Amino acid sequence: MKRTLPFIIILAVLGVALGSAWYMTRSASQPTAPAASTTSGVANNQAQPAPLKGVPGAEPPYTLGSPNAPAHLEEFGDYQCPPCGMFHPILQQMHKEFGDKLQITFREFPLTPAHQHALAAASAAEAAGLQGRFWEMHDLIYEHQNDWKDKFDVRPIFEGYAKDIGLDVERYKRDIGSEVVAQRIFLDGKRGHSLGVKGTPTVFLNGREVPFEALPADSLRVLIQREINNAGNR
Amino acid sequence: MRLYLSAAAVSLLGLADAIYLTVEHVTGQSVRCTIIAGCSEVLSSPYAVVAGVPLALIGAAAYFGVFSLSTLAAFGYRIAGTLLTPLVLLMFLFSLWLIYLQAFVIHAFCQFCLFSAAITTALTVIVLIGVIFARKPR
Repeated sequence: MKRTLPFIIILAVLGVALGSAWYMTRSASQPTAPAASTTSGVANNQAQPAPLKGVPGAEPPYTLGSPNAPAHLEEFGDYQCPPCGMFHPILQQMHKEFGDKLQITFREFPLTPAHQHALAAASAAEAAGLQGRFWEMHDLIYEHQNDWKDKFDVRPIFEGYAKDIGLDVERYKRDIGSEVVAQRIFLDGKRGHSLGVKGTPTVFLNGREVPFEALPADSLRVLIQREINNAGNR
Repeated sequence: MRLYLSAAAVSLLGLADAIYLTVEHVTGQSVRCTIIAGCSEVLSSPYAVVAGVPLALIGAAAYFGVFSLSTLAAFGYRIAGTLLTPLVLLMFLFSLWLIYLQAFVIHAFCQFCLFSAAITTALTVIVLIGVIFARKPR
């Protein structure tokens, strides 16, 4: 018995290890199941979870496209997060392709302890938003992510962008630290937390989370088109 | 005997950590940015994969190896105890390399990777104590 006992223990640990790995993989991929089936071309509406509502974010939100669009995409993003930077051109392309059929909302979700400039970048975009130039600033910050993310002080860089897009820079400098801007970022974050957002980019399409692996243009296009088709059938 | 049992117990922590990292890696959760700084940068870097196999999975296998060998050694299998020392030392050297990569190449630290390095360091200390004490009485 004593000779075989260690082998029994080792096998038991192996079993527990494999079992927990299997369980964790399954629970991590659960929300992806319905969308995975749609990307392979099988429309399975019954398997879809109910759309999430969550608490409201900053009002009014910054959106592209028509409010009456059949497909509504909401992104929670962090300007310093590299995958968000990679997702930015994909979203621009979707906006171009679908036009008024797709409404895009951007929500601030700066991961402050992880990314030291994320909050400054979010504040810069929101401050530009107070002068009606949110998307212009948003685009510049994402497009130049690699130029500023490793810098020590990003304020002069963002001020340069503010000047480039024609903002009243003095007002921008005042607004960036204002209560309004802080409150908007806080409210977007609150909405994100209520929807279970833990990382960025997290994208919701008509209230349902799009799995991370479906964010490349080809699979995202299929999902958006399906929402538009579904709305047409109703 | 006691040293082997503590090595087995410590290696279980490493095993759990490595399994968690493997799942994060395989499911793609790691690619997203999260409040836990650095793990996305580290796990999505080219260093996180060796010949198509996630590094975390190799780590899990190594910790499982340490657990198996120290359990066998605790039950009196001498050869297992002999194999344990080089395995742990190899893992320690590898951990040093990984910390170097995180600090100077990737410029981001992943807490779960650092935890693994700490576990490997603890295992190294245990194994070295075993080596020193095994020699003393003679």
